[in-house]
Amino acid sequence: MINIETENLTRTYETYRKPEGLLKSIQGLWARKVEQKVAVHPTTLSIAKGEIVGLVGSNGAGKTTLLKLLSGLIHPSGGSAKVLGYAPTSRDPEFLKRISILLGQKNQLWWDLPPADSYDLLARIYEINPIEARSRVRELAELLQCSEQLHVQLRRLSLGERMKMEIIGALLHQPEVLFLDEPTIGLDIIAQTTIREFLATYVKERKPTLILTSHYMDDISLLADRLLLISQGSIVYDGSVEEFVAKAENRQTLSLKLLNPPTTDVSIAGHFQLEAGTRNIKVELAANVIGDVLQALMSLSPVQEIKIEEVEFEDVIHSFMQQDARMRASSSAPAARV
Amino acid sequence: MLGCARLAALQQLEYRFNLLADTMIQPFVVGLVEITLWMAFFASSGQAELAGFGREYYLSYALWAAFISRVSTSWMYESLMIQDIELGTVNSVLVRPISFFEYYLGQLMGYKVLTTAISLMAPITLCLFLDLPVSLSRLPLALALTFYYLILVHVISMIIASLGFFFTRIHHLTVAKNITLWMLTGEFFPLDIAPEPFKSILTALPFSSAVFRPVGYLTERLPVSTIYEGFLSVTIGLLVLGPVAALLWNAGRRRYSGTGA
Repeated sequence: MINIETENLTRTYETYRKPEGLLKSIQGLWARKVEQKVAVHPTTLSIAKGEIVGLVGSNGAGKTTLLKLLSGLIHPSGGSAKVLGYAPTSRDPEFLKRISILLGQKNQLWWDLPPADSYDLLARIYEINPIEARSRVRELAELLQCSEQLHVQLRRLSLGERMKMEIIGALLHQPEVLFLDEPTIGLDIIAQTTIREFLATYVKERKPTLILTSHYMDDISLLADRLLLISQGSIVYDGSVEEFVAKAENRQTLSLKLLNPPTTDVSIAGHFQLEAGTRNIKVELAANVIGDVLQALMSLSPVQEIKIEEVEFEDVIHSFMQQDARMRASSSAPAARV
Repeated sequence: MLGCARLAALQQLEYRFNLLADTMIQPFVVGLVEITLWMAFFASSGQAELAGFGREYYLSYALWAAFISRVSTSWMYESLMIQDIELGTVNSVLVRPISFFEYYLGQLMGYKVLTTAISLMAPITLCLFLDLPVSLSRLPLALALTFYYLILVHVISMIIASLGFFFTRIHHLTVAKNITLWMLTGEFFPLDIAPEPFKSILTALPFSSAVFRPVGYLTERLPVSTIYEGFLSVTIGLLVLGPVAALLWNAGRRRYSGTGA
């Protein structure tokens, strides 16, 4: 069963470029050059019920805009979207009761109040039985290890505690479709881990359809079973996390220390150039050339230390995005798909 | 909407000193300032009456006008609505099954009920202390009209806030609007002492239900029929401005880019 589908969904923003200086600001009172910026190029997608999708891209790639379009926060400039059979922009109360969006950089609970009071209001808004709502809050707070902070004003909580409270607020009405935008942004490693583990347990038990964006690839690799890579408003990869890593070459990092550094620049088996005097080497290579490279280096000098590591998922994504950005810069043609 | 009214009350009760200043200090200070102005006017003019009403009547009108006008304006919530759209915090309302109109109307009413209930002490105390004419049995109906008028105030706030989708920063429009409304509501002076044709125009507009009608009725200058006419005039105002607010809101929503998140 398909829960989310889009057809040529597009969003364009109108901006204007203001030249610097007072005179130009005065001129801007009557003459402004308006520009159109495409945040999301025509996008056709379908996401099945219960699927966990990791949406990854650099800043300004269009991730949050896509989530805002799917949750009905903003209207599309073209194309259409259906979430749970509803057009998101209709803001049908029945639709809004079945979805939730968490914007990691914005407070959605009330700043002046303790979260417990906010949840009470949310229970009224979502028409949840108050006793049931309190029981859900207790359960979620225990899992997130934040029961102690339920009666402390939101403004007095740390960033990590606030995020946990926001997550409880987003899940209180047990949404069928969940959009999480950077739920772990800016948090320390302990809070990140707690939230990540909580989400892993939650999605396993409740099976919501989830679209998750994050700059931390651990979030994506742990939770997502499908990966969408977005670059400059276009989806450039759509497949499983495992497939992505496999298709983006099986790369490894070779680290070693030469006993006798070369006295002149040397080409190592045609794969990279080693500068004169270099003792410590760390290179990322395709797994099938590691043997040739090692042989070439060992013929050059005895090797003191040697380490071969799998490349992290995060590094694979990073190099893919860099490659995509370079391709886009050199040509206006769409990037090749992995 | 009751939940939103409760939210406003909880938020106000959270900051005790601010609430005290809002509900006690301000009404007393404003009441005393208005009374002093009218005292100075009568002392310097040497007149004992103006348009058939004596000095004590005008002091009472000034006192209650200052109080009622505080009830029938919405600086704070209008500013919050504008800010929500400007900064994108409106997102937290848009993703929930509640309308922006209902969310803020509930809060406005909750805030006004709480603060009015507490601050009523100020004009009543001053009236008794200065022995000014007032018919407190008329207070419920006068306040009912004022609170009904608040819905119109909120509709106007919706219109102004919706303009934020198009112009981003529009706080000064609120200031300009409120200054205009001060003139039209009868806060400065009883509207029926204005010369014709201004008198007929000003009293026919729904804005007269903000101050002039309820205070005139409360101080026994106007009969009860003016209150009923006030309800009718506000209803017409709602019928005219309501669709404008809905139109602007919907058009603005289509332009909205979900700023800042």
